[in-house]
Amino acid sequence: MIRSDIFALQIANLRKRYRRLDALRGVDFALSEGERLAFLGPNGAGKTTLIRCLAGRTRPTEGQILVFGHPINAPGVRQSLGLVPQELALYDDLTTRENLRAFGKFHGIGRRELRDQVEWALEWTGLRDRADDLLGGFSGGMKRRVNLACGVLHQPRIILLDEPTVGVDPQSRQRIFAMLDELNDRGASILLTTHHLDEAQQRSDRIVIMDQGRVIADGTIEDLVRQTVGKSRMIKMRVDRPLESPLVFHGDGEHVAPRSVGVAGQDTFETRIDDVTVSLGRLIQSVRHSGYSVSDMEVQSPSLHHVFLHLTGHELRD
Amino acid sequence: MIFTIIQISLRRLLHNRIELLLTFVVPIAFFSVFAVIFGNGIGSGTTPKIKVVVVDEAETSESESLAASLRDSAGLRFMDSGADSGGESGEESSAALHGTLSREQASDLVRHGNVTIGIVLRPAEDGVGADLLADASDQVAGQVVAALVGRELAIARTKSLAAARVASHRTPAGIGSQAPAQTSSLRKPPGTGAVPNSPPADSASFVKLSQGTAMARGADVPQDGSEILSPAIQIVDVIGEGKTNPVVSMYAAGIAVMFLLFGATGGGGALLEERENTTLDRLLSTRLTMDQLLLGKWFYLTGLGFFQVCVMFLWGQFVFGVDLLGHLDGFVMMTLVTSSAAAAFGLLLATLCKTRGQLNGLSVILVLTMSALGGSMVPRYVMSERMQELGLWTFNAWALDGYNKVFWRDMPVETLWPQLAVLMAAGVTFLLVARALAVRWEFD
Repeated sequence: MIRSDIFALQIANLRKRYRRLDALRGVDFALSEGERLAFLGPNGAGKTTLIRCLAGRTRPTEGQILVFGHPINAPGVRQSLGLVPQELALYDDLTTRENLRAFGKFHGIGRRELRDQVEWALEWTGLRDRADDLLGGFSGGMKRRVNLACGVLHQPRIILLDEPTVGVDPQSRQRIFAMLDELNDRGASILLTTHHLDEAQQRSDRIVIMDQGRVIADGTIEDLVRQTVGKSRMIKMRVDRPLESPLVFHGDGEHVAPRSVGVAGQDTFETRIDDVTVSLGRLIQSVRHSGYSVSDMEVQSPSLHHVFLHLTGHELRD
Repeated sequence: MIFTIIQISLRRLLHNRIELLLTFVVPIAFFSVFAVIFGNGIGSGTTPKIKVVVVDEAETSESESLAASLRDSAGLRFMDSGADSGGESGEESSAALHGTLSREQASDLVRHGNVTIGIVLRPAEDGVGADLLADASDQVAGQVVAALVGRELAIARTKSLAAARVASHRTPAGIGSQAPAQTSSLRKPPGTGAVPNSPPADSASFVKLSQGTAMARGADVPQDGSEILSPAIQIVDVIGEGKTNPVVSMYAAGIAVMFLLFGATGGGGALLEERENTTLDRLLSTRLTMDQLLLGKWFYLTGLGFFQVCVMFLWGQFVFGVDLLGHLDGFVMMTLVTSSAAAAFGLLLATLCKTRGQLNGLSVILVLTMSALGGSMVPRYVMSERMQELGLWTFNAWALDGYNKVFWRDMPVETLWPQLAVLMAAGVTFLLVARALAVRWEFD
């Protein structure tokens, strides 16, 4: 349950400058207790730098990070954080149980509690039957689960996940998110970075989009759609034969200059219209006036993909 | 296709600096090191001289003349100056300085490693004989000194016989009857290898001695460990006598130290591995600090190294008869300090390098070079003096000197302090530098 009155994390004007590169250029956002927040952004947007600053692995050049109202460097504060790195940062030549024990000890868990937590983690990851097998022989998905367990063994109140499902099959991804939901149900706040728009859309309460070291959008998926693409829709249309030249479309309104749609030699094109009720009829009319007939048509609802494209001007994979 | 494989392999080699270094530079480096040790390289100008002292028990003019001739020998260094004799045996050094050494004092100097051979000139039936108090760990020195002393004895004996003959020929009938060849040979200065063309029958054994090691092979070896080369010269092993297979302990130490270093650098590499697969990042995001991480690894590598050397010496005890239990205190001290310094060295190299590949290349070069110079591969006494001095800059030389004192010279543990101090200081320095270098991994 989200408690919006309690901030688990507050970040203000966070900057990180490497020699010639500004990795973070004044990042501001907050994470409420129990909230699931997804960080989206293309490669180089600053997501990993942000996670590293939060985990204490990178010193910010400027800015403030508060964890439950306390500065992150105050004694004992970092214990509230659990880091799950993008890479499989585990010992392949140790067994599952040995890995869990080792990381539990590094997190300062006492002997008795550690035994219970290791048992819990083995159950939670579904790896009890592989507890005494060396990690080296595990599949990528299984290692991901152990990677996750090692980061949350000390029961942190905030979990930082950097691309937790990179390189895993859809089934394992589902499993990992089910595990995260379980932690969230227990009250943990979750901040994850991801490349998967669908993951961000389905598995988070709020989305922050970063680009070039800045937060360029912050809100729920509905907020973001409203703020960006609004009522516009993507129209995908196929005509009866390849276009001889691009179509001229006057459908955006009297005060807007006409624009060309489609590419010569292709029979399919995509375009965005602002108001379906008015512009869609005009688009079909334009097609017919140009001597073509519509063979097929698809109206796409705005998604995070469109929001992202609208905000950054490029696909996420770029 | 085959050409493409060759092309790809070549390109990969060119892109990999470490592999290039290992392929082309390391063999040349090693060739150079061994050439300098054994060949006619830059070290040849300082051929090792054998450190000796002379004890004159005979106190005759013949023995005095013999001692003087030996002093002129280019292959020997007489340790009768305060600077040369070192500081470990003050009384013996002082006695050596004043030429009043006794056989026991000379024996002590050999035992402590201050000199390699003690030459004791003693009265013999036919003049002067020599007992060579030797350190059998230097298997070359005894034979070389035996050859030199034998030659000088032969020359001195021939001279005295010739003088006696000349005296008898000074009778009116004998004047001018000496053969020209004999006169010319007698006029040659000592040390030029001149041996009379027709030596008298009773000096034949001395002439044979001048042929050096050939004599040693035919020598009788009595049960007390001494080696009789002739009735006149006898090599007495003052250190190795009564020991079972003592030289093996020195080889064990040499190999153990080399593998300690390899083990430590390999173990230090785990740190780089953790860094490369980001486990280090994760570890440092927990409560673990860099100090704790480095100390943990140092203790582990020290313990592992200690155990490794113990296993090796235990094997040496059971299979080759190395007296480990008889030297347990010195062994434990040396092994503990050597392992801890080797562990620190491993961590230093690891923190110095960026990748595991870089570490592998660097450690192979450094460890093999140090082992070659420091005496793990070949004993340092066969090296030139310059190379021996250079060897003291290596880790191995100090460690091996310590083990040598323990197992070979049976010296008490108090005498290990120079080796222990140097190794400890090196270990602490390595560790501090490693810590300073690791700062870059703590934060971006």
